[in-house]
Amino acid sequence: MTSESRIGIMGHHYRRILFFLLVLLTTLGAMSLLSVAFQDGGTRPHELVMLGLYAILTLWISASFWTATIGFAMLVTGRDHYAIANADTRGTAAAPSGPFKTALVMPVYNEDPVRVFAGLRAMWQSLVETGRQDGFEVFVVSDTRDPDIWVEEELLWRRWAKEMGHPARVFYRNRVENTSRKSGNIADFCCRWGGRYRYMIVLDADSIMAGETLVEMVARMERNPKVALIQVPPVPVNRSSLFSRMLQFAGSLYGRMFTAGLSYWQLGTSNFWGHNAIIRVKPFADHCGLPKLPGREPFGGEILSHDFVEAALLRRAGWRVWLAYDLGGSYEEIPPTLIDYAKRDRRWCQGNLQHSRLVFARGFKPLSRIHFAMGVMSYMASPLWLIFLVVTGVAAYFQSLVEPVYFFGNNILPVWPETYTVEMTTVLWVTLTMLFLPKILALVLLAAKPALSRQFGGLLRATLSVLTESLFSVLLAPVLMLFQSKFVLAILLRQNVGWPPQQRGDHQTGFAEAFGTHLSHTLIAVVVGFLSYWYVPSFFWWFTPVLAGLALSIPVSMITSRVWLGQLARRAGIFLTPEESAQPRVLQLLEQNLERAGTPLCTTATGGDLWYRAVVDPCAYALHASMLPDETPNRRRRHYLEGLIFQLQDEGLGSLKPNEKRALVSHRDGLFELHTLLWAAAQPPSAGQIAGAAAGSGTAHQ
Amino acid sequence: MDSGLAMAGVAVADRSPAAWARVSERVALYLRALGIEDPLHRERLLVRVRQRWEARVSAVPLEDPLEAGIEEAYALLDTWLCAELDITGELDALFTARAAVLSGAVPNWTARFAGVSGESIAAQVRAAGVQPEPEPAPLEMEPNTINLCCHDLGRRITGALRVLAGHEPAAAPPRTEQPR
Repeated sequence: MTSESRIGIMGHHYRRILFFLLVLLTTLGAMSLLSVAFQDGGTRPHELVMLGLYAILTLWISASFWTATIGFAMLVTGRDHYAIANADTRGTAAAPSGPFKTALVMPVYNEDPVRVFAGLRAMWQSLVETGRQDGFEVFVVSDTRDPDIWVEEELLWRRWAKEMGHPARVFYRNRVENTSRKSGNIADFCCRWGGRYRYMIVLDADSIMAGETLVEMVARMERNPKVALIQVPPVPVNRSSLFSRMLQFAGSLYGRMFTAGLSYWQLGTSNFWGHNAIIRVKPFADHCGLPKLPGREPFGGEILSHDFVEAALLRRAGWRVWLAYDLGGSYEEIPPTLIDYAKRDRRWCQGNLQHSRLVFARGFKPLSRIHFAMGVMSYMASPLWLIFLVVTGVAAYFQSLVEPVYFFGNNILPVWPETYTVEMTTVLWVTLTMLFLPKILALVLLAAKPALSRQFGGLLRATLSVLTESLFSVLLAPVLMLFQSKFVLAILLRQNVGWPPQQRGDHQTGFAEAFGTHLSHTLIAVVVGFLSYWYVPSFFWWFTPVLAGLALSIPVSMITSRVWLGQLARRAGIFLTPEESAQPRVLQLLEQNLERAGTPLCTTATGGDLWYRAVVDPCAYALHASMLPDETPNRRRRHYLEGLIFQLQDEGLGSLKPNEKRALVSHRDGLFELHTLLWAAAQPPSAGQIAGAAAGSGTAHQ
Repeated sequence: MDSGLAMAGVAVADRSPAAWARVSERVALYLRALGIEDPLHRERLLVRVRQRWEARVSAVPLEDPLEAGIEEAYALLDTWLCAELDITGELDALFTARAAVLSGAVPNWTARFAGVSGESIAAQVRAAGVQPEPEPAPLEMEPNTINLCCHDLGRRITGALRVLAGHEPAAAPPRTEQPR
């Protein structure tokens, strides 16, 4: 071991000791303040509960606080001796040599194909601009089940592949069975083509990465043969609603401090966020095959949030996992409304809670266990805050029933009851400081870096943005708390969650949707507000920030979903992000590609029901059939397909469910049978009739 | 043959000009949908489809003549592609070639298909073919073992207590299913 690497390891330990010491001391300090207030006349059971909850929650928020604060210090000083950017460990491990390829792997599941291919094309164009595209290939690994989207993906792939010419650099496959969802999709890719690539850069349907970033990710991996994964934090971009622009602003401004802080203490045991990361394929295949957890869903069965587990497995095997917080050029798109955001949380919640079983599993690194615990806490914090508030309210009520006794014993002078207002107020201020100080530090960062400040619209506008964002955060936090508490409860009651695709494009929340979703929140605010005001008026006023968020949830949800408000704020320079101030080249390319999109390869296959066109239109049919596996369905399957064809003949197109349509176009034999059958029908297919039949006219092709 | 079938009481396929007229109308429409716009090319192809169709409806009398006509038009395309590219029996290559010509990536293919042009277009068809997947390069990816700390803790504690109480032998049989 070289002296340099010894210093490096000592430095790593020093960083972690410092971070955890700060977190623990802060937690102990906050707890001691609270316990002082509780110890009047001995600690009662509900006070013990509050103390325990407060300890967990303070641990959670102080970890975030110190991460942001350290990140702030790193960004202000610009010093990071151990960043992966500066590392070159080629001398310490056997580095693979020879030419190699990197796959840009895009797993998709019923996503908007136009957006998916526009994004991939933008990344490729950006790569071409670097002149380093030769080492890269694009692989769309589709798990799409919707037959129309499937066909559209194929047509868009074909058009692009044709434009790219030879040698082939863009590949596409649709999995017959989508076993184990996204992790199974990636595993299938590794099993079939992993040997072709040294690295894969895993993307998401809404990912965008700049060409220089892709090239630099590969360069960093090459410089560090013991590193198996580098995560580049994605910055949220491209949405226009007020809600998403607030999130984009927060993600861009505070996010950079948090990621720098995370890198400070996580170092080579960072985490995998599921996409916008480069992975060394061989170790990934060797160590990241995911088992099924024993027991039933939601805690057993397939591992849903695979990314954390894959990072932990790589670390368990001795490979390093880094966070390249400094790299930039990594973007993602976020849900446009509060309700969509909550829906995404519902999907993530189950996966993260499942990690509670892995925290104490054997063999993982301590920091991997902390990642699991933090993942669990990112959802468990909400019900814990809720319980904390309820217990506080109940305690306040019982406290209000106690009549103060001023004269007892032989005392002739009154004995004033001790008050702990100062201690309790301090506890509150400590908590608020930990929650809001990172926002102030972000403004200090902007003040210290005028060039960066200009990208956020200048210090004045950025300050206004932070204030407005903080106000909305206060209003939205209780709503998210109730949403997440409900999700956690549902999962604990073993209600499974499906795998619905995300709503990604901008759309607005109407009154009916907002009313249906937030009515319960509003009613809770009214009932709790009335009870607390009636029985514990002093508590009511403390509680108003929480109640206000819930009471106003319907209008706030609707208002924040408005695109025009987001655009208005943008014109006023509010919530401006560097990506909006000067649009990165790769995002410009994406925009151009989206504008140019719309001419699929088979001209007769434009619009309408693409699945049906893949059956009758010879061009779309030939393309689709050429991409199906060459396998003959077994007897049972043949009978099933024949039954579906009879159903189609007797009851029309409208009678078929999406999975039945998919089954019909999944085998070359069945597809050909259907193709000729429909061309031999009483009415020949034509563009107009296809559209009519696709709409469910039923007997048009009998 | 037809008379023999008729004598045997089997329905005889209608191979009359009127029947072909009905079929040819649809086949012509189908050929047009395949991208064969030139009427001359269509006419020439229809003649060859008719030959194939007549042979087929004679051999399989109960078949729907219209369906047989469409299938024969498609079979004619496949036969031509196999001959043009010398890929008989190579299904994937045939499907790729079919996709290439029907997507319009090969100019003047219809003339060659109709036998109007004597110039081979095999090179263009091959160049226009796009493979969706590269050659396989497999890697092993077996599920890893994750030993959960407290899996079946209740059962294990109960088992231990039962052993202590003397209800079961101390050496429990090994678990057949390892928690992964």
